[in-house]
Amino acid sequence: MRRRDLLKLGGLAALGATAACGGGSGSGSGGNVQLQFMFWGSTYEKAAVERMLNQYEQKNAGVKVKPLFTPDEYDVKLNTLVASNKLPDLGYVPMSMSFRLGEQGKLVNLFPYLKKYPQLAGYLPDAYLWTGQDNLHGVATANESMLLWYSKSAAAAAGVTPPAEAASAWTWDQLVENAYKLTVDQNGKHPDESGFDPKQVRQFGVSISFTYGAAWYGLLRSNGGDFADESGRRCVLDSPEAIQVFQNLQDLVYKHRVAPGPGQLAATGDEVPGTNILLKTKRVAMVVDGQWSLLDMNESKVDYGMGVLPKYKEPFTASQVAGASAAFAGGKHEEEAVELLAFHNDPRYVDLFAKGLWMPQEKKYYEDQAAIDSWTKNAQHPPEFRTVVVDYARDHGVPDLRNRVKNMSAISSDVLTPALQELETGKRPAAEIMKATAPKITSMLQGWHHTQDV
Amino acid sequence: MTAVAAPEKAGSRGVAPTQGLRKPRRYGRILLYVALVLGAIPTLLPFVWLVRSALMQDAQMFVSPPEWIPSPFQWSNFGEALTSQPFGRYFVNTLVIAVISVLGTVLTCSVAAFSFSRLRWRGRDVVFALLLSGVMLPYAVTLIPTFVMWQELGALDTIAPLTVPSWFAGAGGGVFNIFLLRQFFLTIPFELDEAAYIDGASPWRVFWTIVMPLSKPAIIVVTIFTFIGTWNDFLGPLLYLQSEENYTLSLGLASFQSMYLTQWGYLMAASAAVIAPIIALFFFLQRYFIEGVTLTGIKN
Amino acid sequence: MRRLETRWGILMALPAILGFLIFTIGPMAASAFFSFTDWTIGASPSFIGLDNYTAMVGDELFWKSLTATTYYTLGSVPLVLIVSFAVAMLLNQKVRGLSAWRTIFYLPTLVPAIANVVLWIWIFNPDFGLLNSLLRQGGLPDSQWIYGESTAVPSLIIMSTWGFGNTMVIFLAGLQGVPRHLYEAVSIDGGGAWRRFWHVTLPMMTPTIFYNLVVGVVGTFQVFNQAYVMTEGGPNHATLFYVYYLFRKAFTESEMGYASALAWTLFMIIMVVTFLMFRNARRWVYYEMAGAR
Repeated sequence: MRRRDLLKLGGLAALGATAACGGGSGSGSGGNVQLQFMFWGSTYEKAAVERMLNQYEQKNAGVKVKPLFTPDEYDVKLNTLVASNKLPDLGYVPMSMSFRLGEQGKLVNLFPYLKKYPQLAGYLPDAYLWTGQDNLHGVATANESMLLWYSKSAAAAAGVTPPAEAASAWTWDQLVENAYKLTVDQNGKHPDESGFDPKQVRQFGVSISFTYGAAWYGLLRSNGGDFADESGRRCVLDSPEAIQVFQNLQDLVYKHRVAPGPGQLAATGDEVPGTNILLKTKRVAMVVDGQWSLLDMNESKVDYGMGVLPKYKEPFTASQVAGASAAFAGGKHEEEAVELLAFHNDPRYVDLFAKGLWMPQEKKYYEDQAAIDSWTKNAQHPPEFRTVVVDYARDHGVPDLRNRVKNMSAISSDVLTPALQELETGKRPAAEIMKATAPKITSMLQGWHHTQDV
Repeated sequence: MTAVAAPEKAGSRGVAPTQGLRKPRRYGRILLYVALVLGAIPTLLPFVWLVRSALMQDAQMFVSPPEWIPSPFQWSNFGEALTSQPFGRYFVNTLVIAVISVLGTVLTCSVAAFSFSRLRWRGRDVVFALLLSGVMLPYAVTLIPTFVMWQELGALDTIAPLTVPSWFAGAGGGVFNIFLLRQFFLTIPFELDEAAYIDGASPWRVFWTIVMPLSKPAIIVVTIFTFIGTWNDFLGPLLYLQSEENYTLSLGLASFQSMYLTQWGYLMAASAAVIAPIIALFFFLQRYFIEGVTLTGIKN
Repeated sequence: MRRLETRWGILMALPAILGFLIFTIGPMAASAFFSFTDWTIGASPSFIGLDNYTAMVGDELFWKSLTATTYYTLGSVPLVLIVSFAVAMLLNQKVRGLSAWRTIFYLPTLVPAIANVVLWIWIFNPDFGLLNSLLRQGGLPDSQWIYGESTAVPSLIIMSTWGFGNTMVIFLAGLQGVPRHLYEAVSIDGGGAWRRFWHVTLPMMTPTIFYNLVVGVVGTFQVFNQAYVMTEGGPNHATLFYVYYLFRKAFTESEMGYASALAWTLFMIIMVVTFLMFRNARRWVYYEMAGAR
């Protein structure tokens, strides 16, 4: 027993070193292919993914796909599987981890497959995730973009109509102005009226997350600012443009008092409670959030409207906010895994597009009228979806920071998020916080991720 | 030395099994009930919150300031949540794991605790300290090596990684149980053992007929903790189980709160249903926390 | 007798010893090894000696997390001990519906964390939350609770008090072992309830108190969940508990080498603290005479 144990120990120590030996769960023998597909999601998404896998099996006799549903602690499980060489054949990968695994050669390079699967080659340029020249380690699972959700009845009551097209997007001042109209305390007073009680706000005008980068990145870009300079090695969040955007965010809460401060929504993370609930209970009249909320909005029968984000100079919104999908290297059935990868987010086989949770990655679904209609012309998608989401994401979308900045997850949790939390408490002005934070981020920056044309 | 009196049943003299002897006086009793009621308010709060949330629609759950009476009563949360996944199967899986773990833990931990508290052998305390050190290293860094070990043993997607360690004194976290039982065993008068040894009893006999019967409350504590621990364990099943037919209740619950979306009504309803059995278990087991076996016969 | 005891002693401890050798020591040794390597999960570990440990000295977040964790431990452990002891005494009285009372007081321990989170977020809400409403009614200044940098850890300490159930149950079990004749002796001497408590209950409960103290300290040094579900380490790292930081390094950044070094440093700290507690225990923990042999 003890000897065995010691042997095991030696094996453990060597485990990391034996990285390259074939993992993969494929136990295919005699023409039978067995794939394992790892994914997360709500019970709703789970059912949809399983239907998709069934269809794939029907279309590909001899291929069996085993779903590996991992509801929570996805990164713990995936890290464990990576370390023990027990990787599935393909699946979802958290965005920052996908770049790490790509660099380590743990993910199949899809670049050589683009010719074989023209469908994969026709994605939106920002959907591709590159680890280096001609090394395409994955794609964003679905497109997703940010917009201004609002409660229709709240807006109507205040005589406010958030615009639904880029051309008529509000300026920041217009957003503030309308947020005033939509903010009401328990006595029906607005923040610009005397006697307004900021501690007893019944309905906030607008909510834009401080700590969720995708919520403000579009605004930052719209004002001509960015996260880092062209080299990706110097953080420019202390530029006048950036400081203006962050100061404006802070002012919404403390100067204008039209937005909730920390804790006022009963929220710690981004999701307690969801945007659908905030609008339904009219706790907030307008919320900046992703288009994926559409599924929830419909499910909980919210009387919602969709508007475009406000703009400073050029209109912009953050897109490609989802996680990554990739095939894991070293599996026995790489070919089939890539084929299933191309299949798994095809709107023809997954109803999550028509239901509003996902947006397609193939360009044609944004350009060809029939293709656009195929996923947007249904009861789940309101008429303004076309201009607010389809057109806006196509023409004014910029990929989320997590897909572009190297080392972003460490930067985010160690430096950026704490700074934004401080901003949110309103104790110090944006200029001070950002000037202190930008150099710290600069010291952690490792450049932009590689991008290229397919 | 006087002969050892047989453990006496509580209440056999019709005396309140309390730390005092007399019944508290009237004003004392009133105070007692006041304290109980005051204490019950904050302790009931989380449970009441859970139940009211389980019966609400998502929107009402988050109304602020909070509401306490569901309107309408969303009884369908329970039906829909529990049928949206094979919870019956998860229940059986979880129960099997929990029962095996409890049996193994109670048996092996109490035996070990007896050795560490009432038998003298060289190196005993060093070994005990070594075992105890196992719980001082955060599990996050031993998780992967442990996983690799079970993989090497070909035990993935079976309940072995979730149950076998419990038969080795619950390896790892189980050391707390040994420690707990040891502390209790140490409070039992050693004259009892010595008298038995003089009568020619073996250590096993002393353990089984003297120490164990006198330690029922502690055994019950270990039983409750182990059962609840396995019942709620999430990370273990998440890592080691792969096929859905082997999943446990905690994995089913987690499906309602995925990375980007939480189905609150279902989550709350299913949570309430999942903890119902452990509430019942506690209710039935806590009755052993009475002076069932008291040592009134011993006088030093 | 002596040899018999040794033989039985080892035999009876064998499952535990084997369990340690099979399931615990290997992974522990592996992680100790990794703490001397630069290992990003997915790549091969490379040996870097003490670099991880020296890097920690200059890691601002390491110190921050250690401070926050120590603060939490010092606040939470005594509070939970006192509350659970008091409740255990209360639930050891002969009252009507004792089973129901005990179950009610144990309930907070059984309610799943996620259900609790929503409740506590409301309790701590600065505007309409329960705590601030009570404070305002009492004419006291309100607080930012978990949303304020200086109040976040105390808020989580208050919250941790609701988890007293397990400690309370152990005390409750311990109270059953207090020999009644000792109470009788005090009563005969004319002692009241306070003397019974001070001279009998408390000394006889010291082994249980000691257990709960050690387990409490070992456990709270590894506090994780509250930061994970309630505050995500914020605001501004105020509740960045040690194991939460370690967990993030290990599984979000996949920096398992550094995480292992963090873990072993905490191991040493807990080890020393526990050792001191055991040594100190000789002065105040009362065991049956022979137990000390």
